[in-house]
Amino acid sequence: MTLVMKAMLLLNSLEGFFFGSGKAHVVTGVALMILAGLALSLWRMDRRLTQLEKASREDNH
Amino acid sequence: MKGAWNWTWKAGSILLLGYVILRGFGTPLQPGLVTATPSQLRIGTDTIVLAAAGQPFASEDDAPADFHVVLRAGDQLLQTETVEVTPHSVRLSVDVPATLPARALDAFVFTPAAGTLFLGNACFVEEAAKGDIPAAVRADAPEERAPQLGFSFPYQPNIIESIRNLLWHVPMWFAMFFIMGLGFVASLAQLRTDSADWDMRAEAAVKTGLVFGLLGLATGSLWARWTWGAWWVSDPQLNGALVTVLLYSGYLILRAAMGDDDRVGRLAAVYNVFAFIMLVVLLMVLPRYTESLHPGKDGNPGFNSYDLDNSLRAVFYPAVIGWGALCYWMYTLRLRMNRHAYRLLSR
Repeated sequence: MTLVMKAMLLLNSLEGFFFGSGKAHVVTGVALMILAGLALSLWRMDRRLTQLEKASREDNH
Repeated sequence: MKGAWNWTWKAGSILLLGYVILRGFGTPLQPGLVTATPSQLRIGTDTIVLAAAGQPFASEDDAPADFHVVLRAGDQLLQTETVEVTPHSVRLSVDVPATLPARALDAFVFTPAAGTLFLGNACFVEEAAKGDIPAAVRADAPEERAPQLGFSFPYQPNIIESIRNLLWHVPMWFAMFFIMGLGFVASLAQLRTDSADWDMRAEAAVKTGLVFGLLGLATGSLWARWTWGAWWVSDPQLNGALVTVLLYSGYLILRAAMGDDDRVGRLAAVYNVFAFIMLVVLLMVLPRYTESLHPGKDGNPGFNSYDLDNSLRAVFYPAVIGWGALCYWMYTLRLRMNRHAYRLLSR
């Protein structure tokens, strides 16, 4: 663990390894893309279910 | 009006989680000392480099004289001379005496902008005899200065940057508790009324809760690997979480095994009530009676009032609401699917 920390600090000693290496931006970007994909799939599922429920109600009438 | 509110809270949950991601990964960590090199000092003049993680605690233009470093042995302080300062390290020269009150030395770095940085057991002097630090090299405690850092997350030894996982791991478990609680209420109502709708609610809650339980286990395992050095340790909290997830998996197996049997609703409801009681016992009661590595349990208070500071709270609470609302959204979708399938099969 200490060796890993030392190696990371040596690699990016100036700005800190998480921000200085640009990893923070990559992680943020990937997480936002996953969230957007999840939101889109849930929204589409929600809309399709609403359509199905509407069609089902009309069938019953 | 109802439709507008329906979309508002759903969009709100996504926006909150977007904020959590941006703030959670975009906020710098307060600086903290990580290592001292070398860890073994010799009697006489020696040089130590203290390395820090997190945001810089100094700029390239800062004068080394503005950074006071003292080493503490027992209850006495040993003076040092700061030779060089970089944004993430400080090099110091120290006259190690032949006598020290303790062989382990703690390091304190007093910085102009980042307050006081501390590293316990930073280095050792194996050759030192037990005794007082000679007056010539003994130091007085430098004046404490308040840190002047912007919005930043607290530095915690061992946890370091992984403190950001708090915004994922803990709210996911909270969301699981919340939705399994809904399932528990639905099962009680099902037992009282024998209604198929309550049964469908319970089933939707368990299926959604399991997703969040598995996500909680995965994020917890990743965190354990970083802080404890192992993907899984035999800990009452961790084992309790795994047993809980397995118990709820048993609920789905029970339903699948019984198929179209008329009694599936009642039996599953009884099982779900039992599973929720076990969840409370395994995750909230038993771990408090035993030693645990997990924060918040006996022997390890973890994220308490001074760890979870206001900057972390400003992101943690939105994360709890965001993940909870997302979980509820997934639950409503699952429930509507169950109801639609039930209507089709009832025709």
